[in-house]
Amino acid sequence: MAQHEVHHHLGEHEYSYWPLPVGIAVLLVPLTFIALMVWQNPMLAILFGGVSLVLFVLGIAGWIREFFSKGHEEGLGMPAMMFFIVSEVVIFGTMFAGFYMARATHAEVWPQWVPKDMNLTIPLILTFILWASSATIAIAEKLFDTGRNILSAIFVLLTIALGSAFTVIHVMEWLHLWHGGFTLSSNMYGTGFYMLTGIHTSHIIVGLLTMLVAIYLLLSGKAGEHKGHTYIKAITLYWHFVDIMWLLVASSAYLIGSLA
Amino acid sequence: MAAVSYKPYFSAGLKEWIFTTDHKKIGIMYGVTSLIFFLVAGLSALAIRLELYQPGLQYMSEDAYNKALTIHGVLMQFWWAVAIWGSFGNYLLPLMIGARDVAFPRLNALSYWFFFAASVLALITLLPGNHIRMLWTGYPPFSLNDNAGPVAFYALIIHMLGASSLASAINLVVTNLTMRAPGVTLKKMNLFLHSFLAMNVIQILGVPALAGAVTMLLMDKYFQTAFFDPTRGGDPLLYQNLFWFYSHPVVYVMILPAFGLISEMIAVFSRREIFGRTSMIIAIWGIAILGFMVWIHHLFTSGVPDWIRILFSYTTVLIGVPTGIKIFNWVFTLYKGSVRFTTPMLYTLSSIFMFLIGGLTGIPLGLPAFDIGVHDSHFVVAHFHYVLGMALTLAVFGGFHYWYPKFTGRMYNELWAKIALVLVMIGSNLFYFLQFIVGLEGMPRRYADYPAIESWIRLHELQTIGSMILGFGVILAIANLVFSTKIGKKAEDNPWQSPSLEWLIPSPPPPHNFDKIPHMPEDWDPYHYEWLEKQHKKH
Repeated sequence: MAQHEVHHHLGEHEYSYWPLPVGIAVLLVPLTFIALMVWQNPMLAILFGGVSLVLFVLGIAGWIREFFSKGHEEGLGMPAMMFFIVSEVVIFGTMFAGFYMARATHAEVWPQWVPKDMNLTIPLILTFILWASSATIAIAEKLFDTGRNILSAIFVLLTIALGSAFTVIHVMEWLHLWHGGFTLSSNMYGTGFYMLTGIHTSHIIVGLLTMLVAIYLLLSGKAGEHKGHTYIKAITLYWHFVDIMWLLVASSAYLIGSLA
Repeated sequence: MAAVSYKPYFSAGLKEWIFTTDHKKIGIMYGVTSLIFFLVAGLSALAIRLELYQPGLQYMSEDAYNKALTIHGVLMQFWWAVAIWGSFGNYLLPLMIGARDVAFPRLNALSYWFFFAASVLALITLLPGNHIRMLWTGYPPFSLNDNAGPVAFYALIIHMLGASSLASAINLVVTNLTMRAPGVTLKKMNLFLHSFLAMNVIQILGVPALAGAVTMLLMDKYFQTAFFDPTRGGDPLLYQNLFWFYSHPVVYVMILPAFGLISEMIAVFSRREIFGRTSMIIAIWGIAILGFMVWIHHLFTSGVPDWIRILFSYTTVLIGVPTGIKIFNWVFTLYKGSVRFTTPMLYTLSSIFMFLIGGLTGIPLGLPAFDIGVHDSHFVVAHFHYVLGMALTLAVFGGFHYWYPKFTGRMYNELWAKIALVLVMIGSNLFYFLQFIVGLEGMPRRYADYPAIESWIRLHELQTIGSMILGFGVILAIANLVFSTKIGKKAEDNPWQSPSLEWLIPSPPPPHNFDKIPHMPEDWDPYHYEWLEKQHKKH
């Protein structure tokens, strides 16, 4: 509990260079969007977007480095991740609300909106891929607990491979449906379908990025520290959440969506 | 207390301020940003009042009036009523639980920069060509219309604010639950912290709903999705439901911490433990939970079935119960207490008085039979300006004065502070009480003009005069606080003689707060004033 006592030097001001560049990078994201869509100035958008990306990568890299060299982390990452997941559930909830509201109130016209290309084979394959990835990350966590870091890193890598396969297959599926005339703006099924699956896939991508950092931590030995331990546990929890969410997303967007 | 005396937390260089991860400096940064936007929002309110002084359009076009309403609404809601708690919470939470900082200090700094990013975006909307005129609610289909201005600003500002609120809420909940010093149990925790905890839980559950709603708005406008387009299966009511699912609980995000401040101040200035302390904590959580079950009362005229309206009417009136418990407990705390009428105490009592008027007019508003009649009238505006406008602002200013010695190490000028409060109370009651009357007579809200009815003109004239007195009082109070940082008397460490943890360290605190993490004894409690007296006798 009193670990933070160690980190603070009496009478000294605490500061860190990294939150500000990350903050500016995040400010530039809406500005990029506004430059592109409101001011109709693509050059400005490219400038904002580029600067944002550079600042973000530098800021986060510096942040991670500082996190492991000094800082006040006290293994509180797990409760924070749990609260974060609760808020994520609500975000998904809003999209489910929109989807089911339309599904219930437009039940008569809904069947006309279902495209012919919609089938349940691909979502089934995607489900198996994600289940497998949940298993591999769980094994990786077990191996890490018993101190076999290299083997653990291999299983994290396997999880990344499965997650990437999921993303690629999903994007191909989207392109296929989109070219068949089923788009984001067709009707509420199109909107609900692409928004639910799109938001979910964006979470997959974030999960994959966090795993890249995990591999670095495992191989460099930093995962053995208290802080690295919390990190690995937290991202594992996040990945399980994304997998469970997929079951809800897939059963809504594919199954309940395509039922006549 | 300390053998060595350290320099105060604020005597730091520019680098240490800009890159700071210290919760106290971040709290001050939130507070200053919040106050600046509060003044901008206040000035736009005065412009609105000036326009309503006489019927007809004198000073601004209808378009400019819409912009002024939008600026006033958005800034007051998000930059003042919500963000000011970022200030108090950041500053006070670690001090009250006996910690040296929050759980994630760098994330805390990043939360402030998210808030700053939203501020930058809000300032850009003031530039020509970027104005938004969709009011603070941003209802479709109007907000998707080009006349409403670029919806991207509205949606992305809310995304930035949401990121800030969420990161900050998670951070502070974790801090509160895991970093309390030994002896500071959940039961002994300050009531401000209980209400602040409930507030942050509401934020974690509610902010994503608003973020989802504005994301749909953004997608509908720029990527032609169908969320709010009835011809393709969408429904504008979806927005209203999601919006109010957050934006009703957000009024408790605003008012619960204000209740917390009231509890702190009323206890210390009555020198009594809060009456019915357990029932206070239950009431806080009762309000927080019920707050999520009442949002339909904002949609009473939007075409929802009767049985839903009746259900939500019940839950709305039910909120009066925990709120009533709190008010009774405050009054009973005063009973047989040795009350000191210092400036913060006067602000506190004024706040309770204003909340009572606002709360009692809120109950009829929860009944559809009455609400449909006064829907979108100035009656509603007066109601929420009594509760959120006045009760909240008075509690916040009470808090500014109460913790002023802690924040700055100096005392404010007692006389000017009291004069300012008298002006604020006269001005606000003249203004908002007459707003109730003109609202009952049928004056609709959001209009720049009104028919030249004799009694309405008189009522509007008096309201505008009241608003000017109110504005003058607020500026006087802020001027007093600002100038006192330079010319105020040096304050003692514990001027109010409170055993609450933040007063047991020097004022202003050193950068690290506590020389040693405190171990609070069994008989200590933030409201047991005898404990402090016993400590004094020991020395």
